[in-house]
Amino acid sequence: MSARSGQAPLPRFEATGLWLAGLGGFFGLWTLVALSGAVSAQFLPSPWAVVERFGELARTPFVGHTIQEHLVSSIGRYLAGFGLAAMIGVPLGLMMGWFRGLDDAVTPLFEAIRFVAPIAWVPFAALWFGTGIGGPVLIIFMGAFPPALINAYRGAKFVEPRLIEAGRMLGASDLRMITQVLLPASVPSIVAGLRISAGLGWQSLVGAELIVASSGIGYLMVKGQSAISTATVMCGMIAIGVVGYAIDALLRAVEAHIHRRRGRNAR
Amino acid sequence: MSDIRFSGVTRVFQRDGREFPTLAGIDLAVADREFVAIVGPSGCGKTTCLRMAAGLEFPTTGTVAVGGRIVESPGPERAVVFQQFALFPWKSVWDNIDFGLKCKGEPGAGRRARIEQIIGVMGLQGYESAFPHQLSGGMQQRVAIARAYVLEPDVLLMDEPFGALDAQTRTVMQEELVRLARVNPRTVLFITHAVDEAVYLADRVVVMTRRPGAIREIVDVASVRRAERWDRHERIEDVMDQESFVHLRTHIWRLLREQQARNDH
Amino acid sequence: MQPGHSAAIGVATVVLALALWALFTTAIPWIDTARFPAPADVWAALTQITVQGYADARLWRHVAQSSVLVLTGFATACTVGVALGLAMGWSRRAEALLNPVFLLLRPIPPLAWIPLAIVWLGLGDAAKVLVIFMAAFVPAVINTYTGVRAMEPQIVEASSMLGARGPRFVREVLVPAAAPHIFTGLRLSLQASWTTLVAAELVGALYGLGQVLNNAAQDIYPGMILVGMVFVGLCGGLMTAVLGWVERRAMPWRAA
Repeated sequence: MSARSGQAPLPRFEATGLWLAGLGGFFGLWTLVALSGAVSAQFLPSPWAVVERFGELARTPFVGHTIQEHLVSSIGRYLAGFGLAAMIGVPLGLMMGWFRGLDDAVTPLFEAIRFVAPIAWVPFAALWFGTGIGGPVLIIFMGAFPPALINAYRGAKFVEPRLIEAGRMLGASDLRMITQVLLPASVPSIVAGLRISAGLGWQSLVGAELIVASSGIGYLMVKGQSAISTATVMCGMIAIGVVGYAIDALLRAVEAHIHRRRGRNAR
Repeated sequence: MSDIRFSGVTRVFQRDGREFPTLAGIDLAVADREFVAIVGPSGCGKTTCLRMAAGLEFPTTGTVAVGGRIVESPGPERAVVFQQFALFPWKSVWDNIDFGLKCKGEPGAGRRARIEQIIGVMGLQGYESAFPHQLSGGMQQRVAIARAYVLEPDVLLMDEPFGALDAQTRTVMQEELVRLARVNPRTVLFITHAVDEAVYLADRVVVMTRRPGAIREIVDVASVRRAERWDRHERIEDVMDQESFVHLRTHIWRLLREQQARNDH
Repeated sequence: MQPGHSAAIGVATVVLALALWALFTTAIPWIDTARFPAPADVWAALTQITVQGYADARLWRHVAQSSVLVLTGFATACTVGVALGLAMGWSRRAEALLNPVFLLLRPIPPLAWIPLAIVWLGLGDAAKVLVIFMAAFVPAVINTYTGVRAMEPQIVEASSMLGARGPRFVREVLVPAAAPHIFTGLRLSLQASWTTLVAAELVGALYGLGQVLNNAAQDIYPGMILVGMVFVGLCGGLMTAVLGWVERRAMPWRAA
């Protein structure tokens, strides 16, 4: 039963109609304003002009590369930064969940660093790495690291005590406890954390590329911005949106898969 | 006049293009100021009957009328006491009780007096500014009953109101409800699966069949209660000790067991 | 384990980290101070920006600039976002009408709006407010919507039984019921606003903490970079703390 009792679900034709009206209204208004000439096409191209521009960007290089090549270099950096965050964050989180002393020692430093927005690392990224790959990777890492660590930590901290007792009783070593009890028990929490990580990492990547990069979708957008080509900027937004959505969809599928398997076995 | 009348009420539940009948023709008239309890196997549709009187669900065919008017929507003249209390967690005890009166547009001074009175009757003094989560289950249900009673509704619809309470609290609440009904009688439709409770509280007990629910028998308790003078006894356990009480209870149990047996085959 | 024990370890690590920082930038210069500042550099930068000013203004002016922009964009986005979330959560019609557009805009990260805002509105405050709005809007809508959808059906039924409708229903039932989720959304919104503003100021601004960072990066001034970062963290933390305080005051029933 839905919270909206008393409100029957909409008839199918009405739902579809409203859905189309919403989308139609959005694109209609956009097209209308663009074609009316009230705003110049440079500032507000029509939806169709954006699609055309996307085709152009895919065929002819813009600031050195086609849009696909920009996308590839963005994704490469992203995977490096996100991978690093996951590889350090998850084990560290699990260990903090297991060793009380490590938790007490790392948490205050971690909290202090977490308060600084990932994007504020840009000046150091520029100073340390120039426009090389290290800069964006550092910023993506700063965005993706906290949720990866926190969720692994929470997962390990809230493992059912009886599992830990069982492990203890069987005489498992610390390493064994972490890899064979805490890790498997925290998988759902870790995956949830990685999903958040992935999202924040992708956002940070865009920010990083706006400032410290010489290729990538963010760079394409900044150059589009300086050329006052709204269509180019919008193409960048579309590409970022689509890839970001795909990453999230992928991780959602992984999450759903794990929940399905766990649903049968555990609990 | 505030009677409840179910006339030829059926209810069919549709899923995946298939039809599942849940109620197979209910005809029942609850008289003004009568207390009627409905018992039946789980899933027999007894709660659906109550929700139809409340205007929270609707019959597939037939009508439910309260005070001669067909029920079309929920309203304060048909107050519901829910099993899970359904208090507003963000409102204090006082504000929970006040809310229905405010919605009715009653002026402040009159509200105050009525709330104070019901708080006294329900033994909630000293808890006026507490939030629901700070109260025990029994206290929460007192608030829910107060919230319903303060509206002076035509009918009171109680959906297993004591089902979530422990046995002792439950007994106290049953006694209080009887006391309340004596002071301020209302038309009550009361859903329960506790046969004791039904016989102790109700004037008539409606026993339903298993799904699709229909009325198996309507047991008259009020005449026995008057004849045997149950109200001589203040305490619930003394009433339950009466031979006449035991007799009625056993009779209803047998009717329910008969449904159970059919279920097993 | 005594409760004081953990705190002691925490303090000890922080002190140790600070000591190591001082040690390796001065006595044993393993860290190149051209790449990461020594404590004295940070102190010098801090006094410079508070007394003489840096990047065309003193520290308080930068902080005020950034904070006012964040609060403007955040407040606007939350007002619109919460209202929209309530409408979409409660009415299936509003949901059907608005959801497709929302789903279309939602995957675009807030930072990706920066170039568009600059093309449209230039480097001034208006572009910043637009970007903050886009950043804060999405979490406000989603969480409010979730809050309404997560309402217990019995609470809705009880309120309709008691005769609540119209503005009273919205004010006394819908909003408080969704309030825990709404505040979750506001917290996320605020964080996103702050991050996005810093990024937008880094891309281009006249004043603001992002502008301090930007200037410091161009001047290759590590001490000032660190001062900028610390104040980005402090302001963000302070705003979150204030919101937490508001949250506790606004939902007294959740305390204890």
